[in-house]
Amino acid sequence: MREQQHWQALRDLHVLDTPPEERFDRVVRLARKLFDVPMVGVNLVAEDRQWTKAEVGFSSRELSLEESFCRHTLVRSEAMVVPDARLDERFADNRLVTDEPGVRFYAGQPLRAPNGQRVGALCLLDHTPRELSPDELDLLRDLGSWVEKELAIDEELLRAQRVSRQLLPRRAPDAPGYDVAGLALPARELGGDFYDWYEARGGLQLVLADVMGKGLPAAIIGAGVRAVLRGASRFNLLPEAVIRAAASLEEDLEETGSFVTGFVARLDRGTGTVDYVDVGHGLGMVLQPDGGVRRLRAGGLPMGTLPGDVWESGRTVLAPGEALVMASDGLLDYFDTPADALRATQEANASAADSTELLDVLASLVRGSAPADDVTAVVVRREARP
Amino acid sequence: MEFSTSEQPGAVVVHCRGRLNMVAAPRLKELLSSTVESGGQRVVVDLTGTDFVDSSGLGALVGGLKRCRQAGGDLRIAGAGQQVLTVLSLTNLDRVLRPYADVAAAVDGW
Repeated sequence: MREQQHWQALRDLHVLDTPPEERFDRVVRLARKLFDVPMVGVNLVAEDRQWTKAEVGFSSRELSLEESFCRHTLVRSEAMVVPDARLDERFADNRLVTDEPGVRFYAGQPLRAPNGQRVGALCLLDHTPRELSPDELDLLRDLGSWVEKELAIDEELLRAQRVSRQLLPRRAPDAPGYDVAGLALPARELGGDFYDWYEARGGLQLVLADVMGKGLPAAIIGAGVRAVLRGASRFNLLPEAVIRAAASLEEDLEETGSFVTGFVARLDRGTGTVDYVDVGHGLGMVLQPDGGVRRLRAGGLPMGTLPGDVWESGRTVLAPGEALVMASDGLLDYFDTPADALRATQEANASAADSTELLDVLASLVRGSAPADDVTAVVVRREARP
Repeated sequence: MEFSTSEQPGAVVVHCRGRLNMVAAPRLKELLSSTVESGGQRVVVDLTGTDFVDSSGLGALVGGLKRCRQAGGDLRIAGAGQQVLTVLSLTNLDRVLRPYADVAAAVDGW
């Protein structure tokens, strides 16, 4: 049971078999200087082996558990110091002691995962016997805490990423006669773009939003925007819902110096009527089966631009065979001009059997190049009459 | 990204050279704030040497605009290139961040 928890804690860190990273490498470099030892490692003890995330002076990044010193450190809550491995019956016959690199001294500081499970050790190794003073033990503990922080960062980011993805709609909305799909490709683990759809007053609301900036800060603001807009849309029509949401968000956006662009559409499924608000977004459009395009512009500014700002809504009717497309400006980065982006979208629309396929085609175009910005899109196709 | 400022009759001009992105945006925002604090309520941001602005860059310009307006002034943009004009137009921000052909046109009549 204990062991199971240990392996699970290690797996949750998502660090095993990842490439070297400077944020760990700098700790071992520094430790080598501070302690004047030839070998330093950040070792993780897995079910079947010891694996090294960062090292200086090691000849390999993997060891069998039989040869691992750090395995013994793991069972302790404090550092383990072996002043002379030749005189320690646990290690005297260890190949690393009897053969290359001829380890005599070992000191290991256990490393904990955020849940308290010990998963590895920061260790110092030397060819000559030595001791650590109480001050040096304190220093080793501090460096260990630093490594633990670095190990935790990754895990928290991954959890945040999971939550952020869970905030996207998981299934298509209830809209017979319409085919709805969404796409979100964050440029990093986390992004400030999101899409959303849900029942609102008088219709199905579809939202695409792009929070200024990237990464975790943008994702935090994005989650707030999503929630406030959902709340305001339940009992308000457009553009009122957007105006109220913006008023509620004004202080937050002011305080964080952030702003949000977006496109909010409300679809009356019976008639195909779409009311929409352009929140400084500019990339909402209807693709017609004849190849024509209706740009849905309503002239609104991004939220967070001016205090007390108001928005107007526009209206169009989605005819059978037409597709409402809302895309983030990240999509434009992959094309030389906005016209090229539009043409690619039209071609994808013409060839795709459904909305999901249309977005798959766009995603494959974008994945071909390095992600510069988040790319998010929502497509609503109204089925052509049989 | 490099910034410099110059004085024009009735306005302070902030010249930007390079890409106005996530890295440069906080510095521009800081510079615009300090410009307003030291009495420059009318600010022209000269983007002649800037060929790229991302959303963080826009955020810095919007932040600067708000500071200017709070102080009773305004912020205008001069010499923006095609990418910048496209972004300003898509976001409708050209309604409040008025683009002018060059610094002379921006300060004319101010």
